Amino acid sequence: MKTKGTITAPELVATRTRPSKELFRTLFYSSPIGTYIVQNGRFLLVNHQLARISGYNDDELIGKSSLNLVLAEDRNAVRDNAVRMLKGERSHGYEFRMVTKRASLKWVMETVAPVFYRRKRATLGHLIDITERKQVEEMLKQTTLEMQRSNAELEQFAYVISHDLQEPLRMVSSYTQLLAQRYGDKLDADADEFIAYAVDGAERMQALLHDLLEYSRVGTRGKPFSWVNCKDAVDKAVANLQIAIQESGASMTYDVLPTVMGDEGQLVRLFQNLIGNAVKFQRDDPPRVRISAQRRYNKVAFSVQDNGIGIEPAHSQSIFEIFRRLHTREEYPGTGMGLAICKKIVERHGGHISVQSKPGEGSTFRFTLAVAGDEAT
Amino acid sequence: MKSQVTGRSLDVLLVDDSPGDMRLIVEALKDGRTQVRLHIARDGLDAIAFLRRRGKHVDAPRPNLVLLDLHMPRMDGLQVLAEIKEDMELKHIPVVILSGSEDAESIVKTYNLHANCYVTKPVDLAQFTAVVRFIGDFWLTAATLPMEER
Repeated sequence: MKTKGTITAPELVATRTRPSKELFRTLFYSSPIGTYIVQNGRFLLVNHQLARISGYNDDELIGKSSLNLVLAEDRNAVRDNAVRMLKGERSHGYEFRMVTKRASLKWVMETVAPVFYRRKRATLGHLIDITERKQVEEMLKQTTLEMQRSNAELEQFAYVISHDLQEPLRMVSSYTQLLAQRYGDKLDADADEFIAYAVDGAERMQALLHDLLEYSRVGTRGKPFSWVNCKDAVDKAVANLQIAIQESGASMTYDVLPTVMGDEGQLVRLFQNLIGNAVKFQRDDPPRVRISAQRRYNKVAFSVQDNGIGIEPAHSQSIFEIFRRLHTREEYPGTGMGLAICKKIVERHGGHISVQSKPGEGSTFRFTLAVAGDEAT
Repeated sequence: MKSQVTGRSLDVLLVDDSPGDMRLIVEALKDGRTQVRLHIARDGLDAIAFLRRRGKHVDAPRPNLVLLDLHMPRMDGLQVLAEIKEDMELKHIPVVILSGSEDAESIVKTYNLHANCYVTKPVDLAQFTAVVRFIGDFWLTAATLPMEER
């Protein structure tokens, strides 16, 4: 190493003071970046990579107007940039479509700098072929638009369905109840049982539609984000769950919770569903729920931990799907929408939700919320 | 219009396109404390004709209370509400919105159009009956309304 160093050092000094032809060749002709010098609007010097991108050979390029390579629609942008350069502004990369020798289009990104060449003003240009990146970008843009459209459609669909189905359902349940009320004593035990099942079915359907509607509203009726103090959100969630918490004898502890950007109503719902589950899926001991928050760069990682019955790891993904239930309604009531709503709320806030659990060992739900400001604590 | 009951009897206009809902409301009001003569309009246009005493409604009484559904064909509840509250002759009539929807937007819209109150039709029959009776009792007995000359 040492001997090598002693040999290299004088060479470096030499190249710094007197650049060799060889170095020029290496830097210019072998560069993977299309490089050229233009004087009076015409190519004076071009490298192999520019020839490769444009499809012309070096001789064809020399003397050719540089604007000839630019698609007519993009020439103004290129000229504007040249004007900015002459005014002494720093050139940022700009993009245009190049017309190649075979009359096809390539997207390129270029930077230019004013230089003196043979004592006259000239432009030194560097460009790279970004056609592939542009195609991917374009595809991504199309796909995103398409997805936004189909998501909006789906949300609207779910909303209309759940909303418009409530009305006829109310008829079914009301008239079954009226039947029971008015003719209950004239019918036999079988009829009573049938009526009870019909009423129960209608009520369950009602609950499903109600939660499906809430689920679709996360996207369609969400409020704009503002600063939300998570302690306030948890307090509100706990207040809404007061009866369940008191009945179960649950104890709650929570860390100092941060302020985040979000939709307060939805964050209350998020905490309420998670705390509600922690209290609901309990073992014999009174539930203990612990909420903590940790800042990681511009995200906050929350966790809601309980000592309840836990979840088989095999179900740790599927429990976030809509109408997903792991127990019979006799064991634990519910529509199976709670965690699906949580997931949708977290995702609307740019975060991610997951669970870590084993049966009998409690569960820890973790979610991240994006954009916690520096000024907030 | 002949009064079928003696004593204080009040006219209620029920505007609803669902026969099922209508019947439930009729049943609920039947056993209530307040004697009610129920008039029925099946859509918004019919309701406006009744209120303005047009066509077959030339002899219609001015109702003491309007129970108005929102989702109806031809002319919906919001339009009926707007017409009533813009009409000097009608605007004093209390309008209670009875809707199957809890949609926050509709609720705000109806109050901005000066609905007197918005009630979501309860799913449970007992609650439904109780709410409709309560509406009748409150607006027709507890509340004092402007006197109407027929």
